[in-house]
Amino acid sequence: MSDWKRQHSAAIFIGFLSSIKEMLFTMLAVLIFGQSSQFGGGWFYTIFFALILVFSLANGIIKWATFKYKLQENELQIKHGLIFRKSRYIRKERIQSIDINAKLLQRLFGLVELRIETAGGGAEPEFRLIALRREEANLIKTELLKRQAIDIEGSIDESAEDLKDIPASDEKFTDFTWELSKQRLVIAAITSSGIGIAATFVAAITSQVQQFIPEAMYERVIGWVIHSSVLLIGFWIVFILLIGWIISLISTLLKYGMFKIDKRDDEIHISRGVIEQRQLTLSAKRITAVRLVQNIIRQPFGFVSVYVESAGGGRKDEDLSTILIPICKKGEVNQLLKEVLPDFVVEKAYEPLPAKSVRRYIIRLIIPSVFVATLLVYFFNWGWITIIIPLLAGAYGYWQYSSAGIGIDGNNLLLKSRAISLTEVILPRKRIQAMKSTQSLFQRLDDLCTIHVSIITSIVGKTFSLRHISKDQRDHQFSWYSYEEEKENIKGESKG
Amino acid sequence: MREKPNNPLALKTLKVWRITATMECFFFLLIPIVYVIAGRYVELPQWPIYVLVIVVFIIGYFKITLFPKLQWKKWRYKIYENEVELMYGVFVVRRVIIPMIRVQHVDTRQGPILRHYGLSSVTISTAATIHEIPGLEEVKADELRDHIAELAREADPNE
Repeated sequence: MSDWKRQHSAAIFIGFLSSIKEMLFTMLAVLIFGQSSQFGGGWFYTIFFALILVFSLANGIIKWATFKYKLQENELQIKHGLIFRKSRYIRKERIQSIDINAKLLQRLFGLVELRIETAGGGAEPEFRLIALRREEANLIKTELLKRQAIDIEGSIDESAEDLKDIPASDEKFTDFTWELSKQRLVIAAITSSGIGIAATFVAAITSQVQQFIPEAMYERVIGWVIHSSVLLIGFWIVFILLIGWIISLISTLLKYGMFKIDKRDDEIHISRGVIEQRQLTLSAKRITAVRLVQNIIRQPFGFVSVYVESAGGGRKDEDLSTILIPICKKGEVNQLLKEVLPDFVVEKAYEPLPAKSVRRYIIRLIIPSVFVATLLVYFFNWGWITIIIPLLAGAYGYWQYSSAGIGIDGNNLLLKSRAISLTEVILPRKRIQAMKSTQSLFQRLDDLCTIHVSIITSIVGKTFSLRHISKDQRDHQFSWYSYEEEKENIKGESKG
Repeated sequence: MREKPNNPLALKTLKVWRITATMECFFFLLIPIVYVIAGRYVELPQWPIYVLVIVVFIIGYFKITLFPKLQWKKWRYKIYENEVELMYGVFVVRRVIIPMIRVQHVDTRQGPILRHYGLSSVTISTAATIHEIPGLEEVKADELRDHIAELAREADPNE
């Protein structure tokens, strides 16, 4: 139907820039660590970076020149490669979802990226065309999806059964739409838990600043810091945290701005982003677990974010799980889930952990804190103040204990626990791949167990655990999960 | 209260574990040997040789005699119509339920030692986890594999 086409020539630069972006950390590492060593000299770096640039550019050009695609009757054909020529036929029935993203690099050229996800766990379940004009991308998308819709209507393939009440029109109507309001976005940004990460990053950079300021000045500053009071160090910590907070605030605003969920039949379309506009399509049938996370800033205000684990469709850059709702009130979760993922609407009936397990939670945190406190006393003569550390750790352990809970609602298992944020996981029975309990020597003293529940996520499995539940609770979960109706013994002949 | 699984591993598994552990211990024995050889070329004190040998023997006792025995005693499995249950572990007791309909595939594996004793180790993989029953008689292992394969064919993936 059409000829072989190349992508927009801006693909060269997009490819070039994104490979530079990928190597940025390596290059920074070389720059930072290399300077402090005696190895090589100025020449070495010049050549090193020049080679990287030339290589990346050449790579971009070759990729663009050899990459060709053709939209065919039933499939999208792609061929690429200079030395090893590869061709790929993406058949429309195998397409799970097509997303159009406009990342920063693409937006510079007014282009979009087309991301096609195919079924099956091949080597590359997803495919990207990195530089297309928006009209072109839309054309490919509608062409591939249109035929798919028509085809489903007529054929009796496995998915047809669940999709048969789709109207025959090409335009799929939307069942449910939810947008993140501006006010909520601001709340999300203010209470974002990215502070920790951002602050570490800022601290790391500040620690490297010494490379770039003159030595005399550096020494003066260091001398000043060493002689200054605890107050001043405290000020520095607050300052770093503040910068970290601002960074995480801005990044949250940009990441979750214009957040929107569209639910069409079984598909959940998530689009988000101010500068980098991303789309993501998830199939409701492939969601294996829902996580409700409340970080400590949000918890007092009753705000919660909802993540989903999906067998396929998750993103590598989002910790294998995908955010479904960046922020909402706790009471709204069930309303939203009812529209988007009705299977995961649960009555939150948590059973607390047995009283015996409070000891385990407290001891587990006190032991390392005593160790830290001892070190502080030994090396820094901190004295009495170190008593606070184990006490705080113990209190935190008690908090973790009292936050934890386990429960069953119909076909869903609920686990609630706190590392720092309070996390609730909803796991449908039919998504659980295996259930395991472990009991360590210490747990045996109190007749406690840890429960581990495994599910599938996009790349590998994921296991959720809850520590120190009672044996009765364990038995209860096991019998809930067990597929044996009666405990009849078919094959297990008891022979030694 | 849920019934505990009651089938032990094949008794010969214990032998296999002991043989494997013995071989590992011979490997540890290389350390004092290397030390002795090194002592010929470099000036080295004598006493570490004895310490090393004693340490190797102590490790050997635990690894060859005591530990496999405890481990074997603790290992239990049971194959029900619709699920497999395992229970094992000396210090940390693990108990696993694997429903048949979640099983993706079952492999039986045999190293030379296992083969000599007519045993197989059975690996049960789900989409997210892998579990192993380390020693079953070949016949039983094959039977289990076929049984699970059959159930997997019948199973409805959506329960």
